[in-house]
Amino acid sequence: MIPGLPILANRLIAINISVGDRVQRTLFGIKFDLDIVWATMIAAAIVIILGLILRAQATSGVPGKFQLVWEMAIGAIKKQVEESIGPRGAAIVPLALTLFVFIFVCNLFEVLSIGAKLEWLPAPTSDVNLPFAMALSVIVLVHVSSVRTRGVRGYFRHYFAQPFPAKLFPINLFMNAVEELVKPVTLSLRLFGNLFAGGLMLSLLASLVIWKLGPVPVGGLLSVPFTVVWKVFDMAIGAIQAFIFALLTIIYFDMAMATDGAH
Amino acid sequence: MLYATSNFLVPNGTFIVVLLAFLLVVGFIAKYVVPPLNRELTERQDQIRGELEAADRAKSDAEEADAERRTLLEAARAQARHIVEQASTTADQTVTAAQTRAQAEYDRIVQAADAEVTIARQAAVEEVTTKVGEIVLAAAERVLGREIQASDHRDLIDEAIAAVRAETEGTPAGAGSGRASNSGGSR
Repeated sequence: MIPGLPILANRLIAINISVGDRVQRTLFGIKFDLDIVWATMIAAAIVIILGLILRAQATSGVPGKFQLVWEMAIGAIKKQVEESIGPRGAAIVPLALTLFVFIFVCNLFEVLSIGAKLEWLPAPTSDVNLPFAMALSVIVLVHVSSVRTRGVRGYFRHYFAQPFPAKLFPINLFMNAVEELVKPVTLSLRLFGNLFAGGLMLSLLASLVIWKLGPVPVGGLLSVPFTVVWKVFDMAIGAIQAFIFALLTIIYFDMAMATDGAH
Repeated sequence: MLYATSNFLVPNGTFIVVLLAFLLVVGFIAKYVVPPLNRELTERQDQIRGELEAADRAKSDAEEADAERRTLLEAARAQARHIVEQASTTADQTVTAAQTRAQAEYDRIVQAADAEVTIARQAAVEEVTTKVGEIVLAAAERVLGREIQASDHRDLIDEAIAAVRAETEGTPAGAGSGRASNSGGSR
């Protein structure tokens, strides 16, 4: 047993790390998390400014590094869309590109957080509202494109006629309903969970500071390198989650736009 | 401003605001970022394709020019070879002709010289023969004291002359017969 650990445990419990602390205001009886609102606005502004810089610099000649990054992103997304959906999927490219870039920028905000009880610029994706909003947008558009591809009758028949033969339609309907309901939930909660956990981890590392062995601030010495390592790791997680969100969006569109029943 | 703790899994009014913000960003990207990016990528692809095609064209042009150059060079070489061959043939012919002409000239000169020598010798022999015959006759007249008719003693004179000739020349029999007819004719 490490001496001092019981004290640490007691202290941590005493600190009582809370989750979901927000700067809230109520307007017309509806609660708004102002910190998430402004963080989202700042992220949106950053993405728009990046887009404007690109527009100003863009050339069909030799591209600069900034343009190359954009081109790499859009190139990867176009490749993915063309390989899975084909030329019909071109309309999804802007949505998938936005999702990737916007989520990535939002996730990077977590590097700025210090593990405080209340962050002034939290990653908007570490709150459920933005992931839900994005997942809802994606799922609504997925169903719209499914109706457009299959027609209204084809869209509804799709839920009855597969994956099993149409005779087993109750089972098909149940399975498809579960699948369709799970899609937006997993899509949003995966992102939220990863970013929220990242923030929670920073809080835990910050609270390590109170761990002392006599006069030696063991926790304080450990806290800083751990935090640095975790933030680097967190940036990778942010990039991966942004990529996964965009990729799953493309996959959902592919499943919705597949003319055949198979998927 | 109040610090509230609620169930963090339940969305609130923030949802509407961030949804609008997100849709705004999607609209911006779709309208102002993706089209120019696509246009530039397409333009660059076209440029690259054009440049590659131009390079291909230039390459094939160069290959054609090279092939033409080779053909011309080969033709020129063949022509040069032909000219050299012709020249050497002509030179051979010229040399042969000159040799032939020179030989002919040499032969002619030698023949002419031979003929001249023969004629001169014959003339000399005729003269000697005539002179000897006259001398012999004159001597004989003096000895005999009377005129001798050359024709009456032809055989005798000829015999003497033949003896003289044999003594001076030692000539072969062929020359003797020619001489006999000539000496007869010269009289």
